[in-house]
This record gives sequence, structure tokens and C-alpha cells, in this order.
Amino acid sequence: MRPSRWGNALRGTLLSLVVAVMLLPVYAMVAVASASDATDLGGLGFDAAQFGEHLSLLFGQGGFPLYLRNSVILSLGVAVLEVVLSGAAGYALAQLAFPGRRVLFAVVVGTLSLSPIVVLVPMYLVVRQLGWIDSFQGMIVPFAMSAFGVFLVRQFALSLPRELLLSARVDGAGELRIFLRVAVPLLRPALLTLFLLQFLAQWDNLLWPLVVANKPGLWPLPVGLSQLQTEYDFSAGLVGTAALVTAVPPLVLMFVLQRYYVAGLTLGGVKK
Amino acid sequence: MTLTVRLPGPATTVSGRGQRWAEARAGSLLALPAAVYFLVFWVVPFAGAVWLSFTDYELAGVPAWTGLDNYHRLLGDPGFWNSARVTALYTVASVVPSIVLALAIAVPLSRPGRLNGVLRALVMIPAAMPLVATSMVWSAIFADEGLANTLIGLVGIGPQPWLTDERLALWALVIMTTWKHLGLFVIILTAGLQGLPSGVFEAAAIDGAGPLRIFARITLPLLRRTLLFVLVIAVIGAMQSFVPAFLLTKGGPAGATEVLPLYLWATGFGFERMGYASAIAMVLLVAMLALSLVQFGVLRGGDDG
Repeated sequence: MRPSRWGNALRGTLLSLVVAVMLLPVYAMVAVASASDATDLGGLGFDAAQFGEHLSLLFGQGGFPLYLRNSVILSLGVAVLEVVLSGAAGYALAQLAFPGRRVLFAVVVGTLSLSPIVVLVPMYLVVRQLGWIDSFQGMIVPFAMSAFGVFLVRQFALSLPRELLLSARVDGAGELRIFLRVAVPLLRPALLTLFLLQFLAQWDNLLWPLVVANKPGLWPLPVGLSQLQTEYDFSAGLVGTAALVTAVPPLVLMFVLQRYYVAGLTLGGVKK
Repeated sequence: MTLTVRLPGPATTVSGRGQRWAEARAGSLLALPAAVYFLVFWVVPFAGAVWLSFTDYELAGVPAWTGLDNYHRLLGDPGFWNSARVTALYTVASVVPSIVLALAIAVPLSRPGRLNGVLRALVMIPAAMPLVATSMVWSAIFADEGLANTLIGLVGIGPQPWLTDERLALWALVIMTTWKHLGLFVIILTAGLQGLPSGVFEAAAIDGAGPLRIFARITLPLLRRTLLFVLVIAVIGAMQSFVPAFLLTKGGPAGATEVLPLYLWATGFGFERMGYASAIAMVLLVAMLALSLVQFGVLRGGDDG
């Protein structure tokens, strides 16, 4: 039984409508960004001149450029460290025999189910003990690795072709050289996925910077955005513009790395 | 770990003591940062959270052991019970519709076709929007003269004070959360559906099974693993959700949206009662673990893998 052409057309139309409704709030963000004031939020019109004015206001004064810079430092810092450190640990756990391997793996698996909110208070106390309150270290280092990242790389590294690693050993290559020259290129999809997910997570991390960064000069975008309403005399359009600008980098990254994004999201859902 | 297996000739030369030593050295080196990191930022804080939950600790002072006092106090704390109730309601009310709707959209969307390819890419946009920016937009949507009131005005309902009404505020958060999760769950379920073997569906269609029957008897059971995954991340995500309540309502009005993570944050960092906040964290952790286990049990029941 083949579905009729009319049935297909109807289904396509319905699905398109549903997706259009799902995108409505995204469009609302664009519309809000061009709203002149709080009484101008209900429509869906877009006023380019007003929006341009908001952009120049946003970048011309106040903390926004600083928040943007801080977010870039924070997100890139965490993503790079995560790729390097979780990559190394994940490979070691999968392919190398070393003392303490089982204990480390048990800790990683145990940590998988802990969420930052559960350890928020003591993690803050640890960072305070290290003297890292109000510093980039304090924001970055606690997220420099993750159980998810180590686990992801380890799962991926388990399926590396053994013959390749072995033949490199036969050729007399050192273990570190094998890791860098043979394993890392093969691990690239997992590492890219990890980079993307950690970048996006930090770009959107509100809770931790809110707790450890009290100086406005250190605020990344999420904290800065939440304070914008008090910084400028509340202008809904300006806040909307800030939200829109904040949403652009993740959307661009996500589209460029779409394959890795879906792979990361569906990890564990599709295959085990 | 022996490296001599099934390899003829030179392989034997890389096995043995020298190789084991080289591996142990490289492995320790590569894993050392991880060992230090997990010890300092997860093992110690977790042990600390357990310990602090049995102490009275104001940020300025020294922790004093008080046994089960914090937990006793929790039982009689109306603020805690309110937060527990709000979190439970928020979780159920946002998880159920987002999964049902996502499934209803993902099944037709997972079919091949050019239009579906485009729609699948578009669905990712809401999923990839940062939650903080999303919350900003939704607070404008729920503003007095915002889009929500414009839309209900079209069907003749008068404007509502979405974020300042005790009965409405939580539902405003639920609407936003459902929307935000919908995109994400559609992507995950679509990927799961596309991974299912197409032969089974063709065979069922040839046998004359209707689409509803195919969905109930074949799609749902085959998709169980993916559904379980979505359910677990949905429930855990909703239970530790902090951002929407913090940005849209600050927990108000009158505690109507004060979810547990917000209560924990306010207790620990607003009132600096670290011991009591840790006890709340323990309750949240146990609740999340218990619910995950229940979900695994229910959805895995009768499953071979």
C-alpha cells in the first residue's frame, strides 16, 4: 500500500505548520530586539532602524562588550581544556594499563550521575580555599574536565583498531607519540563533539559564574544578561537585542558542526 | 593486558616487561590530570556535601556537627515542602507534554524526503538556543503587552499577568520549558527512529497493519531505549532546572515558582546557610537517583538488554 500523494502533501503541510509554530518564539526574539519600549512587545513587526540603534547602544557603552569577551574566554578555555585533558584520560582508560586505572574509571562513572547543583556549596568552598573566587581560574578549572567527556572519549577509544596501535609499537614509537600521532586523529569526531558541547554549555552557564564571580568585570554573558535590566534603565528591546546577539554564536557553531551536535545529543540514546 | 595475542612474528618483541612499563608510564601521565581533577572537584566536594549536611555552617564560621538536625528541620520547613511540591509539579507538567509532542512530531519527521530534511534542520534552532537568551525572550513574551497576551487576545481572552499571578507563573515556566525541550527531544527521537531497521516496517505494512497499529506494536517497543534516555534526561533536567525560574520569576510570586535548586541556591548563597543547603542537595540527589532507577526498572522490564 503506497500512501497517496494527497496524504503526503497534507502531512508535509501539517508538519511545516507545526515547525513554524515551534520557530515562532525564535522569531519573537528578533521582533523583541527591535521593540522600542515595553508597550511594543506584542507584535511581530521588525524595525531595522530601532534594532540598529540597540546594537550600537549595546556595543558602544556599558558592560556588554566585556561580557561577550569574558564568555569567549570562559567557553574557549573550558572547551580546549576539556578536549585535551578528557581526551588524554579517556584514551588512557581505554587503551593503556596503568596503576589506578580501575579506581579512576569507577570515580568517573560514579561522577556521571552527580550534577553541579548537588556539589555547588562544597565546590564553592574548594574554590574559595584555592583563592580563586573572582578569577577566571575559578570559573574555568572546575569545568576543565567532565565525567561525561572522559566517558565519551573512552567509549570511542575502545573501538580504535588495535592492529594500528600495535604496528606503531612494533615500529618502535613511544606511547605518547602513538597517542598524539595515531589515536588523536582517529578520535577527532569524539573530540569535536566534546568541544562543541562544552563550548555551548559554558556559553550558557549561569549558576556557577553567578556564585564565584562577584565582580562585574568578570561576568560572562549569562550573568551579564540577567543584570542588564538594572544596568540600563529597563529597555525591553535592548535586552532582547542582547539575547539575540548571545544566541548567534551557538547557532552558527551548531549549524557548522551539525553532525557532531546530533551525535553528541543522541549519545547513549540510540546506541549503547 | 597482554599484547601478544594472535600476532605472529615481531609482536612478541613489544610484549613483556618493557612494554608494560612504557604503558604504565604513559597511562599515568595522561590520566594524572584527571585523577587530580576528579579528586579535587568531585570526590572531595561530594564527600564535603555529605558531611556538611550534618553540620551547622554559616559561611563566616566553622562547621559544627549537629547530626540529623538539618534533616529534622527540613521535615518541618514549609519553604522546603513548597519547593519540593513546585519541583514535582514543574517536572511532571513539562516532561509529559514535551515527550508526547516530540514523539508525535518525530515519527512523521523521521521519514526520508527533502522537505523533512529542511524541517529537521529548522527544529534544531530552538534546541540550540542558549537557555539564558531563551528565558529573556520568554519574559518578553509573557510581559503585560507581550506576544502571549496578543495571542490569547485573538481567541477573546483578556490579558493575563503571566509572571506575577500565583496560579499562572508556574504554568508560564512549564510552557517555556516544554517548548525548549521539544526541539531537543525531537532531534533525539528522530535520530533514534532513523536508526530502526526499515525491513520490519515494510513487512508489517505488507501484512496490512495500519499506521496506528505499527506505531503501537513495532515503533514504540523498538524505540524503548531512546525513549528511556529522553525520559531520564527530561526528568533529571527538570529537577535541577534553575535558570528559567531565576530569570523569569526569581521564584515568585510568593514562592509559587521556587523550585528546589533555587531554594538551595538562596539558602546557601543568599542566607549563607551552607550546612542546611547541603542537606537540601542530598535530598535532591537521592530523589534524582531514585527516579532514574525507577525509570530504568519500568522501561527495562522484560527487556533482554
